[in-house]
Amino acid sequence: MERNELDENTGTSAIVEIIDNGPIKISGEIMFWDLKRDITDSPSEIYLCRCGKSSNKPYCDSSHKMRL
Amino acid sequence: MERPRNHFTRGRSYKNDEITVYWKPDACIHASYCYRELIEVFDPGRRPWIDLSGSNTERIIEVVNMCPTEALSWKWNEDARNIDVERDQTNHIKFKRPELMSTEKAKDEIRPVSVKIMVDGPVVVKGNFTIRYNGKEKNFTNGIISLCRCGGSNQMPFCDGTHRKIGFEDK
Repeated sequence: MERNELDENTGTSAIVEIIDNGPIKISGEIMFWDLKRDITDSPSEIYLCRCGKSSNKPYCDSSHKMRL
Repeated sequence: MERPRNHFTRGRSYKNDEITVYWKPDACIHASYCYRELIEVFDPGRRPWIDLSGSNTERIIEVVNMCPTEALSWKWNEDARNIDVERDQTNHIKFKRPELMSTEKAKDEIRPVSVKIMVDGPVVVKGNFTIRYNGKEKNFTNGIISLCRCGGSNQMPFCDGTHRKIGFEDK
């Protein structure tokens, strides 16, 4: 019997990173749909607003820094 | 459930003449079917804990298929046999771990990751992806998550439906 190592990290196509007090960063192989604005795209990296305050939604425009 | 980041780093595979069995520790929920059914092969007290020489292939497949998660999955070593595997073989990698299929076609089917901005709602991420938040990391295979965009969720970073209560308008 053989035992092989298998790298779990190669199993996924994209990384979703929730930046502390900041936006959602998504990078990798992405198919992007904005259903409200009817946009379809395949960017390699996007930063999405998650504070609700951006004036360039769905993208982050750093408005979260102005919250206080 | 959340677990420490280093818990997700590696998986293992075990082979006999006919099949390969994959073990993905982070997916195990300790339902215990494997060792209750076939302790000769799946013995948590032994290292390595899986020994495929303990039973025949047919029985091993039967027990791997009982695993309710993707912690245990299997494939035929002869690639051609993996293509027409039926749905009743629930834990074949085609159904549980498509990223392990060797044909490009099978891999293409699960890529890329879909990112959907819902109207006045969350962003829904679907496919094979890794999420990192609060110093934690989790891999999803054929997974789906919904992330808050309104800033009001009580279950950050995930959507809990608050956008509707606060009248979030995405403009």
